Amino acid sequence: MAMNKLEDLRQRKQKIALGGGVERIEKQHASGKLTARERINLLFDEGTFVELDAFVKHRCTNFGMEKVDAPAEGVVTGYGQVNGRVVYAFSQDFTVVGGSLGEMHAAKICKVLDYAVKVGAPVVGLNDSGGARIQEAVDALSGYGNIFFRNTIASGVIPQITAIMGPCAGGAVYSPALNDFIFMVDKTSQMFITGPQVIKTVTGEEVSAEALGGAMTHNSVSGVAQFFEQTDEACIEEIRRLLAFLPSNNTEPAPIFETEDDINRLIPEFDSIIPDNPNKPYDVKDIIHALADGGDFMEYQEHFAKNIVTGFIRINGQSVGVVANQPKVLAGCLDINASDKAARFVRTCDCYNIPLLNLVDVPGFLPGTAQEYGGIIRHGAKMLYAYSEATVPKVTLILRKAYGGSYLAMCCKELGADIVLAWPTAQIAVMGASGAAEIIFRKEIKSADDPVAERQRIIDNYEAEFSTPYKAAERGFVDDVIEPSSSRARLVDAFNMLASKRENRPGKKHGNIPL
Amino acid sequence: MKKFNITVNGNSYEVEVEEIGGVPSAPVAPRAAAPKAAPAPQAAPKAAPKAAPKAAVAGGSQITAPMPGTIFDIKVKEGDTVSHGDVVLVLEAMKMENEIAAPVDGTVAQILVKTGESVNGGDVMIVIE
Repeated sequence: MAMNKLEDLRQRKQKIALGGGVERIEKQHASGKLTARERINLLFDEGTFVELDAFVKHRCTNFGMEKVDAPAEGVVTGYGQVNGRVVYAFSQDFTVVGGSLGEMHAAKICKVLDYAVKVGAPVVGLNDSGGARIQEAVDALSGYGNIFFRNTIASGVIPQITAIMGPCAGGAVYSPALNDFIFMVDKTSQMFITGPQVIKTVTGEEVSAEALGGAMTHNSVSGVAQFFEQTDEACIEEIRRLLAFLPSNNTEPAPIFETEDDINRLIPEFDSIIPDNPNKPYDVKDIIHALADGGDFMEYQEHFAKNIVTGFIRINGQSVGVVANQPKVLAGCLDINASDKAARFVRTCDCYNIPLLNLVDVPGFLPGTAQEYGGIIRHGAKMLYAYSEATVPKVTLILRKAYGGSYLAMCCKELGADIVLAWPTAQIAVMGASGAAEIIFRKEIKSADDPVAERQRIIDNYEAEFSTPYKAAERGFVDDVIEPSSSRARLVDAFNMLASKRENRPGKKHGNIPL
Repeated sequence: MKKFNITVNGNSYEVEVEEIGGVPSAPVAPRAAAPKAAPAPQAAPKAAPKAAPKAAVAGGSQITAPMPGTIFDIKVKEGDTVSHGDVVLVLEAMKMENEIAAPVDGTVAQILVKTGESVNGGDVMIVIE
């Protein structure tokens, strides 16, 4: 082969690798962002990335677009390895026509999604785009539609992870929204349907882009995003960490990581972690960290609905999804946001064969008109639905309060918990002692010579008899009451025993989860 | 005079809004007028449910009750310096003594509640400046 052909190929590739050129790359760096290719290189194990479709060009001739050269069509796509496993990725290049999405840009993303489904590998999308390429008109819209459809078809088959690392506005937000996980980078990323300008024109409200759709807004207020990161580098590192908790697709288990953490490790501090006064809070995250292999806990939606804690740990090397009430925040009660967060997380785990561990200390559903009008009935129902539907191993550990409907919603035996364990501090009851005593013994208290003393006597009796795990254990709703210090060993054993669990559901098109 | 139904914290209020500025400025679309008018009446229902002896000062960082409950303990007094994360008040609600922390560094400008008092979700309890 003539050397000039090889030289020609190299030059072509070099030009494409430079994206929008040195000046725009410097501008990208100056704004605190990495380039599309730098992000790809960080994401994959060194030297494993294989690029696809680098030579693809747009076909637009509107508004002088035929003269516009867009290297790699403004999006780097391909596959490689993350911790030795195949992962597909696309990374939008803001230096090329603002990373805008046209027909062929979208076609490259669609190809990656199609391949990923075919081989059963996760897809990571790194978003940094000004939005639809307006010159391409309906072709750009069609591009988004094609991506949305594929995201939906791939949902529950392969993990889909998105990072927002720049602007993501209008229709562009819905592909991330259809993914399993959204990461956002502080200060440099924004997501919104309509931006500050449009809002000002239509409603007169003035709001900054950061306040409207910044990383913390979506991590703490809207609940759109699950992970908040300080920098591009940290974001990509955390994506790699998350991938290690997930299987490649819905037919595989998550990878097992051998642990040096003793599976029979006793946790003596658990014997005194629950305050004597049942009205005193404690931090349930201390319990999660202590149970996990090596204390490693990757929290999901850390900043949203903090009254419920969700995330991934490993127990005996196996990925486990944890759902835990947080007594430190809103008394650990269930409300609309907590229900949505937990239900979504439970379904995410069930999709990808990740067993569930539920740590229960829940006083009830949050009362109030805002909750009732906001539809706590249909939101709370999502938890019941998600747990009942889930066929992965489900282990529930009741730490303290487990009252009424909220006890049921935290995956009781009846919703299919395979093993229910309780600490001796558990109070599994229809409601708190004082409320129950007043309803059942209203007459006795009223007619007593000393109603205050009588009320207290009745409450004490009720507490001793009913605010315990033993009534539930008598019925078999609790499989065993355990010494708290032995919790890790008991959970290792339970998940080990359940590893071969098989549970089938009647065939159906799909269920109808209350949305 | 225009009539609006406004719902605040689940309570419905019928309010009348009178426009006194003559002709609305040209670029504002007519339907933009409604949301713009809304913030004014919102102030009224807040004061109504409780004849609060003190009104929260404007500005500063307001600590509101996250849910309905009873003030169990107040850990600070007016004029105290607090740091972000310091527990300033304990609210008994949902069978739990909920520790309420200062959201910012600052000085306690105002305490609007007393121990034993009941509060609704959203009520301002402490103002930090």
